[in-house]
Amino acid sequence: MRKFCTVITALGVVLAAPACAPSTKSGGDKVTLTVLSWRPEDTAGYAKIFAPFEKSHPKIKVKFKPIKNTEYLTVLPTELKKATGGPDVVQLKPYGPIQSLISAGNLAPLDGQVDVSKWDPSVLQAAKGKQDGKLYGVPYAMQTLSVLYNKKIFADQQIQPPTTWADFTAACDKLKKAGITPLSTSGLQPWVLAIDHQIFGATRYGGDDFAKAALAGQKNFTDPDYTASLDVTAKLKPYYPDKVAAVDYPDAQTLFTSGKAAMYPGGSYEVGPFTKTNPDLQIGSFDAPPAPGAKVNHALTSGFVDGSYGVNAHSEHKTEAMELVKWMATPEFGQLYANTLKQISAVPGVTPGDPLLAQTYEGFKTHGATYMMVVDFGYGNPLGRDQEGEALQKMLSGTSAADAGKLVQKGISAWFKPSGG
Amino acid sequence: MTSTTEPVEVAGPGGGSTRRRGRRRWPLLLVFLLPALALYTVFIVYPLVSALQYSFFDWTGTRQNGFAGLANFRDLFTKYPLSEQVWRALAHNCVFFIGTMLIQTTGGLLLATLLHRSRRGKRFLQTAYVLPHLVSPIVAGYLWSLMLNPQFGAINAALRGVGLGSLAQPWRGDPHLALPVAIVINAWQWVGFPMLLFAAALAGIPEEYHEAARVDGASAWKSFWQVTFPLLTPVLGIVTVLTFIGNFNILDLIYALQGSKGNPAYSTDVLGLLFYRTAFENPDANAIGQSSALAVCMFILIFGISAAANRFFRRMEARLK
Repeated sequence: MRKFCTVITALGVVLAAPACAPSTKSGGDKVTLTVLSWRPEDTAGYAKIFAPFEKSHPKIKVKFKPIKNTEYLTVLPTELKKATGGPDVVQLKPYGPIQSLISAGNLAPLDGQVDVSKWDPSVLQAAKGKQDGKLYGVPYAMQTLSVLYNKKIFADQQIQPPTTWADFTAACDKLKKAGITPLSTSGLQPWVLAIDHQIFGATRYGGDDFAKAALAGQKNFTDPDYTASLDVTAKLKPYYPDKVAAVDYPDAQTLFTSGKAAMYPGGSYEVGPFTKTNPDLQIGSFDAPPAPGAKVNHALTSGFVDGSYGVNAHSEHKTEAMELVKWMATPEFGQLYANTLKQISAVPGVTPGDPLLAQTYEGFKTHGATYMMVVDFGYGNPLGRDQEGEALQKMLSGTSAADAGKLVQKGISAWFKPSGG
Repeated sequence: MTSTTEPVEVAGPGGGSTRRRGRRRWPLLLVFLLPALALYTVFIVYPLVSALQYSFFDWTGTRQNGFAGLANFRDLFTKYPLSEQVWRALAHNCVFFIGTMLIQTTGGLLLATLLHRSRRGKRFLQTAYVLPHLVSPIVAGYLWSLMLNPQFGAINAALRGVGLGSLAQPWRGDPHLALPVAIVINAWQWVGFPMLLFAAALAGIPEEYHEAARVDGASAWKSFWQVTFPLLTPVLGIVTVLTFIGNFNILDLIYALQGSKGNPAYSTDVLGLLFYRTAFENPDANAIGQSSALAVCMFILIFGISAAANRFFRRMEARLK
């Protein structure tokens, strides 16, 4: 018996021992920075991007540590809470979702450390604390929203990218008659419908002017211009895939990449994966023409910041981490990022290497609008995007635009307090 | 454990020393019990207690602020959108439970009764009905979402193929259809479980009872309702309570079918999904406080009703004897 107990105790000690062993540190006085990200697919790309930085900063080594995107937001708060051994630089979601990390004191403010004097304030807004107005991240990418189209189908059907709403619906009718789904989208995912609304409805509700008025409390989401813009989106139902309410996001993507659908209202982030799925696919992009009754008389390219990189407040190598994010605000990083990962860099002055992305980014710079429900109304529960998507789902099954507007207003007013007016 | 050591004790000198020896064996028993107890404490007791503690505090992200009293619970029932989502999710759980009892439990009983009398293919059919049980609900949800797909799915294609195209529906996308569809899929997956339990109970009913009923002139139908069914009450009680617990905790299948938002327009939202969203997809800084409060409410509801139902069925059982 006693022998048995001794064996058990010994076994316990042996098993517990490795847990207490000190973790290994990188050799010499070289510092290894851990960059936490939700993009495992970009691992090779980031290795290329960080190489010049490691060369110019011989004492710093950058380790890219990706976590599955569906688990990232659950893991990040715990990682940032670690007293020691946590990540040094972390990838951050834009706008609303970073606010709780900021107010919990998990992130280090970057004001005065990173040179962002040339940056557009609307871009920096994505990484700022709503309460204290301080900067907590360096935005790395922009996304634009437009109508992507299959160039081959358009050529076969002799359709030009439309510039008026009448041309647009005529093109849709022609495609439908030819047995091609005109617009591929997912009615099952509320966030996809909210993107559709931003693309087709922004001109109707009035773009950034409406957003400003709503932020100031002069207008709300029961406004006839806003509800009419919801209607613009829902009335496209005949051009969406059959039984669109049950079409899931991957299905909508497949319909477009397989050539069964001619157009896909979506973001610049789709271009890479689409080309990967079907390398022969020739993708073009146009902005939805002003909808009937539009408050803005020209087309709009909507956009938003994709995310940013911030510094862990408890990082053991804060000085080096600051060096890295400082570098991430330079055109050198911006150009490397844009070329390697085929994205639109958020660094001012950097142009995307991909011609299609260059075109949509140019559109955003010359006639852009912010993605209102994410940029301006993405700071509370429910997120504007989710509430608007739910309202649109209800419209697809018969709810009136006025009732849908009331639902959006109810959701936003649960947490949003206008700044004045 | 004691019963297995008993024979050794009997061989010992006197009955009086048994207790003393038992006391001496405590360290050994403890060694065997400790691992399980430690795991149980770490993974069941500790999370339960910490959720209870979390629910009484205010949180900013992962930072615990001051004591909040019942504020988190108040938020659940008064703060939009939670106030609306909690009741809607609870109602969906209730519909899910009633639907499951109607389809899955009744179906299980029907299959068990039919198979009880059948001579051929019994084993095969039993195995076939239990087979979906072995698939993870996430996988089952994914496979069904493929089959129900309006564009590429097998079900609408089959309906169109036999000229019933008018019956092809947006199965997952119609707010009125989505929840019933989920109930049917869940029943498809779990019907084998009540069937096995009922089959075991049926096998335990002596054939004499049925013979006596037949001699008295009872029809097969009457014999089932007057003789067989009352004797199945204990199993029915167990099946009901387990179905209730399973249905009120459901998350995986609905998540795989309709995502974390219970699409479309929250028409398949259930308490499990709402908890997941409140905890992990909540833009509110106090996500931990709110989700812990919801978890505590769910635990009280499920534990309370299960305990009450258990007592009820015990009493019914006692009346049988």
